[in-house]
Amino acid sequence: MLKVSVISPEAVLYEGDTDSVVAPAFDGEVGILTGHAPMMTLLGKGVLRLGGGSQRFSVEGGFLQVVDNTVRVVTEKASAA
Amino acid sequence: MAKGRELKGRIKSVENTRKITRTMEMVATSKMKRAQDRVTAARPYAQALTDVISSLYSPELAEQFPLLRQPAKIKRAAVIALTANRGLAGAFNANLIKEARAIIARLEGEGTAVDLHIVGKKGLGYFRYVGRTVVTSRIDISDRPTAENAAELVNDLTDAFARGEIDAVYVVYPAFQSVLSAPPTAVQVLPVKPPATGARQRDYILAPDAQTILGELLPLYVRNAVYRALVEMTAAFYAAQRTAMKNATDNASDMLKILGRTYNRARQATITQEIAEIVGGAAALQG
Repeated sequence: MLKVSVISPEAVLYEGDTDSVVAPAFDGEVGILTGHAPMMTLLGKGVLRLGGGSQRFSVEGGFLQVVDNTVRVVTEKASAA
Repeated sequence: MAKGRELKGRIKSVENTRKITRTMEMVATSKMKRAQDRVTAARPYAQALTDVISSLYSPELAEQFPLLRQPAKIKRAAVIALTANRGLAGAFNANLIKEARAIIARLEGEGTAVDLHIVGKKGLGYFRYVGRTVVTSRIDISDRPTAENAAELVNDLTDAFARGEIDAVYVVYPAFQSVLSAPPTAVQVLPVKPPATGARQRDYILAPDAQTILGELLPLYVRNAVYRALVEMTAAFYAAQRTAMKNATDNASDMLKILGRTYNRARQATITQEIAEIVGGAAALQG
């Protein structure tokens, strides 16, 4: 399982466990499953999908960080979509 | 009974004032709680940004980023003074203005030209009154400042800093430590003071690379510092207003006590006098 948090300046929009994350990185979509290597990437504009689309957020800019099955999505513009 | 009626009028008016101040106290309390929640909610984002920047930052990279440029001499600086749009909050705005004037005086004493940017009607009113040039002003930022508000405030300054037109940006705001303590503080947001370097603990896969990521994140970091200042200002304003209105309510209660006593004394004196007159009159009739 992955621990995911979606963080915007105003609030933590989502915090919970899921089995997959698909994020719009700056150069195309990136998928993350359990056991992913530590990674840091910039985000572009698009839809962030958790657990195969059960949770969706539209994000623009910011970054995504993966460490030890913990995913942090930190973005200035994020809203549930 | 002329004096009595006058006192009664004053008692009524103080009672009405107390009703208003008590209501304002309650409104400020509830708004303060909500503003305080926003201060707390802003923390994870700031923490995440600081973590990442400090793990990517290394002194060798510093020279490549305009936002990390540490000018040897500050020729021109921008000061963003945050104040509230409204008053009735004790010395809240006055203290902020005082702090802003202190930093302007310090910078100008060092031979720096200071551009003044103002948020809030109260600060704008003051600096207009003393005849200081205000470069930009915003009086339309609500009780719920957004990240966009912060971006609008600081983006132009960030660009000007990157171009080398200004050498420092300061924000004057009340640092909301607790409900009782929010000392006015001047914080330097540009050049970015690099966070203490947490040695890069892990071999991250970096996409695209450390430089580009850092280059993207530094402006976010600057905007976030301003956003937090705005949020803390709102919370501190309502905390100050609550205290001021609580004091006003207490003072009104004290005043009512004294007025009530004076009124009763006057009433008793009138009655005593009337009785004395009646007794005197009766005695004269019998005699």
